[in-house]
Amino acid sequence: MTGATMVTGADGYLGRRVVSTLLARTDDPLVLAVRAADDTELATKREWAATAFDAAPGRIRVVAADLRQPKPFVDVDPATVRRIVHTAAITRFNVDRDSARQVNLEGTAAVCDFAATCVNLDRYLVLSTLYVSGRHEGPVAEHRLDDRGFVNHYEWSKWAAEERVFGEYAHLPVSVLRLPTVIADDDSGRVTQYNAFHHTLRLFFYGLLGLVPGNPATPLSVTTAAFVSDAVAHLLDDRAPRGVFHVCADPDDTPALGAVIDAAFAVFESDDWFRRRRILRPIYCDEPAFDRLTSAARSMRQAVLSDVLGTVAPFGGQLYRPKTFQTDALRSAWPGCAAPKSIPLVTSTVSHLVRTRWGKTQQEAP
Amino acid sequence: MSAGWGRSPLSGNAFVGCLAYALGERRIDLATSAANGRLRSEPRDLAEAGFAVHHVCNPTTSAYDLARAATARIAAAGGLRDVDAIIYATALPTNGTVGDLDTARRTRDIAHLMDFPGSRLQVDFDLDGAVVVGLNQQACTGLLGSLHLARALLAIESDWRRVLCVTADRLPDGAMYEQAYNLISDGAAACVVSRQPAAFRIIAGHQITNGGLGLAGADEIVGAFFTYTHRVVVEALEKAGLTAGDLDWVVAQNANPAAWEVFARLLGVPESRVWLPSVARAGHVVSADTIINLQALVDSGRLRPGHRLALVAAGHGLNWQCAILQATEAVS
Repeated sequence: MTGATMVTGADGYLGRRVVSTLLARTDDPLVLAVRAADDTELATKREWAATAFDAAPGRIRVVAADLRQPKPFVDVDPATVRRIVHTAAITRFNVDRDSARQVNLEGTAAVCDFAATCVNLDRYLVLSTLYVSGRHEGPVAEHRLDDRGFVNHYEWSKWAAEERVFGEYAHLPVSVLRLPTVIADDDSGRVTQYNAFHHTLRLFFYGLLGLVPGNPATPLSVTTAAFVSDAVAHLLDDRAPRGVFHVCADPDDTPALGAVIDAAFAVFESDDWFRRRRILRPIYCDEPAFDRLTSAARSMRQAVLSDVLGTVAPFGGQLYRPKTFQTDALRSAWPGCAAPKSIPLVTSTVSHLVRTRWGKTQQEAP
Repeated sequence: MSAGWGRSPLSGNAFVGCLAYALGERRIDLATSAANGRLRSEPRDLAEAGFAVHHVCNPTTSAYDLARAATARIAAAGGLRDVDAIIYATALPTNGTVGDLDTARRTRDIAHLMDFPGSRLQVDFDLDGAVVVGLNQQACTGLLGSLHLARALLAIESDWRRVLCVTADRLPDGAMYEQAYNLISDGAAACVVSRQPAAFRIIAGHQITNGGLGLAGADEIVGAFFTYTHRVVVEALEKAGLTAGDLDWVVAQNANPAAWEVFARLLGVPESRVWLPSVARAGHVVSADTIINLQALVDSGRLRPGHRLALVAAGHGLNWQCAILQATEAVS
């Protein structure tokens, strides 16, 4: 298997889609790096890959790689690897600092170490997040960012990983793709992985939270997994320039938090069950009030609110720090790029969530 | 869904005074109630929320006994003169009768279900000319609802002078003493709404009922708290021609104080003006909290004539009420 593209986190939410896209758009052999605790789990994941992907025999190879280990890619011959897409990460906003450091920071360094041994490496894509900008406010450019503080360990770990890439590994043919919150698989609004965005809306729909953290004017960037994997395929191309890219809608097309909430409630209010309950639209609260609520919820450990605020609160701080993400580099590198239209995407996503009751119903209600 | 009792042509001046309350005899700490299976939450969680003890009736003490005890305090102060009506509010409909369900079942005679506590109160305190009205579908907002109703009655019955408002609830034996993460107490409160000046002038008020949340669970009750409570206060203030900035005090019910702190920020009043000092010593006394806390405010010496107050309560996830009052010279 020479001239291969290796995808880390290949069995993860984005990794799977990146693999599918590369299988469809290239002829490259693929090395799928997955986390497997032992041979049995690895065998299970190999079986899964064989059925999950429509690939010619021998085109994909699944290897075990635990990024928490010092040399996770001992089963891969670096000389055979021409391109790397690093998608593996812990993306939970409430991840603890040590886990974030181990996987997102040291794990990225481990991939970089391996990349440095790949003598035929043409391109190395690192998937990052728009929120490496942390507490930064205002326009955010597509270049290395300074430390303005962070609202959670996830942001910090991804920023620190970028710093490692830009510093110690600047000689590698690397591009950094910063992603917004992925809220749906594609424009249809189908959701197969739930995150703080979906959990928060679930609280509102079921009348379990009457407050919104944030300023209604704060821009909120969202996208689909399909757009991300499309961007990966384009920017992995040898002809694409290298650099930092914000894989998101242009600032002018990025809705404000208030517009997102309004779009969500417009969908909620079309549901008979929701409408009958007369649940009011939530009130925007300032940061001290939200912090106090989060703190108070800790004394209500049996309450649903306590559970869910545990996942929502670590991101809430971002919603008080308005910022826009410049996309000039992305537009230049990918002229035909068409990011999903945000409000229609929110509408289709929320419609899916309501129809399936956040995935609880096997079949979507009519 | 909502109704106001503000500056309508019918509503002349009405005043609130003669505050009184009574609590269940047994003062029980969190650990003891937890050991006796009365709580859902861990005691440390309720303690962190601001609760410390609650009051539970002796086995032979009824909700009516509590109502009578509170009313007796008003009587002792000479406050029961000229009472033309009694409004008897309960959160639990079962406290709205002192009838005997077992006897009614055995005899198949529904007369045994119609032994009304408000009527007993009338005769026990010799309030011979008073009519009795029951109010039992407003949960923990019943006392504020009775102010509403009393003011309306005074507005339409031109010869009525004073309305005794009483609320009393005692949880059934074996019941959990925790609702929506709040520690509950048995207790009663009473006051008199009058045409003649008293401690507080009623400026306006507002109530909201949302039957859509009639079967709300604890988490939904918590979830609806901020939106509806905010709305009921803002709409009450609008009826009064006031804004939140005009309020000197928000006299709250004894729910989680942290929630009221958040609420204060939403409303735009200083947290120090949200008044619920009896949380730790009294617990959430169903519909009686606002009277207990209003009395504590009077006793604190911090209240001045002219101060404007919002009495606020939420009830079982589907009722919200707010009364806007103004302290008169009588408070000094």
